[in-house]
Amino acid sequence: MPVHELLNEPVDVRVEFTGKRVHPTHVHWGKKTYVMKNVNLVHSTNEGEKRIYYFSVSDDTSFMKLRLDTGALEWRIVEFYSE
Amino acid sequence: MPRLILHIDFNSFFASVEAQANPFLRGKAFAVAGKGKGRIDREAGAIQGKRTSISELSHSRSVVTTASREAKKLGVKTAITTHEAQRIIPNLPIIPGDPRKYAEVTHRFLKILREHCDAVEQFSVDEAFADITTVAGDKFGAIMFAQILRSKILDTIGEACTASIGIGPNKVVAKLASELVKPNGITFVDPSEVESFVAARSLRDICGIGPRLGKRLTSLGVTTILHLRQTPMDRLIAEFGPHTAEFLWNVSRGIGDDAVIDSATDDPKSVGHSYTFPHGLETDQEVHDNLLALADMVTQRLRNQNLFATHVNVFARYEDGGGSGTNAQLPEATNDGLTLFEHGFRSLLPIIDIDRGIRRLGINATQFANKIPSLIPEHNERHDRCLTALDLIAKRFGTGAWHRASTLNTVFLERVSGWHYDHE
Repeated sequence: MPVHELLNEPVDVRVEFTGKRVHPTHVHWGKKTYVMKNVNLVHSTNEGEKRIYYFSVSDDTSFMKLRLDTGALEWRIVEFYSE
Repeated sequence: MPRLILHIDFNSFFASVEAQANPFLRGKAFAVAGKGKGRIDREAGAIQGKRTSISELSHSRSVVTTASREAKKLGVKTAITTHEAQRIIPNLPIIPGDPRKYAEVTHRFLKILREHCDAVEQFSVDEAFADITTVAGDKFGAIMFAQILRSKILDTIGEACTASIGIGPNKVVAKLASELVKPNGITFVDPSEVESFVAARSLRDICGIGPRLGKRLTSLGVTTILHLRQTPMDRLIAEFGPHTAEFLWNVSRGIGDDAVIDSATDDPKSVGHSYTFPHGLETDQEVHDNLLALADMVTQRLRNQNLFATHVNVFARYEDGGGSGTNAQLPEATNDGLTLFEHGFRSLLPIIDIDRGIRRLGINATQFANKIPSLIPEHNERHDRCLTALDLIAKRFGTGAWHRASTLNTVFLERVSGWHYDHE
């Protein structure tokens, strides 16, 4: 049975900059580091003056939706799916 | 020379965007839910900071806004309840809707169209018309343009989001054409083929012929487009009135509007908000509080656009169907929520039947005009300063940063489907 959860937990993220684009490549969550292969969709929204970016990323077995608060420079995982 | 009008319609839009974000959903049966009694609310789940399993949320009561292609094949339809959907497919994953994600994709496809087309008219969150007469030139140019458009959507949005494209001499035919091949189809209807193309469609395929009008046509013995075409105009007028009769007469022949009005440059005629409640409102106080909260949302948008309304329009829809609505003139041009609310509520209260339960409530500010200086400047100055301060707070911390005390108990969940997104 796949695990599919909504959550809101802090994570450490390593990113790659390509031109003006940011690609999360490694997500350290709990005691595990996930190496993300694909950035499937990026969307953003405003919370007042703060710009929030959401990265939908995946590897071979997991999907994560990561939230980047550009005001606080904080990453959180807000959705997780694992086969 | 006939114009070349293109209609683009994304296939299973919300489900496709979810599958684009999460590739593990691709090829699987699942549904995207709107708001409902169980409050399947993605943002709230995340804000509370606790882990919530999607399968737990799937047991909440809501409505299917979109089913994935695989779920549709098994019989899950749009607008059925999530419980009905799970009766059809036990353990069907119900994904909470994520309007902010869908808005990004809407913006991206509209941007692609606006970069390349003469004019673009957004028709819904996942549909638009475009005038491609100049850019395409002729039939072959139009088909080539549609293929380029499809390839740009693939590059800019992703492989899971596909769209069907129809091209015809007007909006009626273009929309009918886009419905023909799903998913990912391109259909061109030459002006010389319009009459036969339209005749081969069913009445309910026509945008504007809904269940009610369809039923009335059936009761007249009109069950096909050809029947409709053969029905004399005076009979249509007698049954439906001149406006609907003219519409029916035209669509049965594939005659329609070919003017694509660019929604981005069109001046707003009204600014409004409405909300469908998960349960009917049963007291005047509930109507009062919710209408006031809606009026505040409307006037915040008016102030952002520096608009002042001279009229207010309010309406209520009942749980048993039907509704009441009215409009009122405001004493002066305003963008103050309380003023808009007071006049709207005062007009609405005497005409509603609260015992029928109010399922939907709406308020629109209309007929914009320039602000005329008040005769009591001191009062207005303080009031305007207060509104300016509140707007600054909302700008800095977000639109939910302040509420009137009387509207603290009102909860408006973001809608997933419909014409536009609530957060914009």
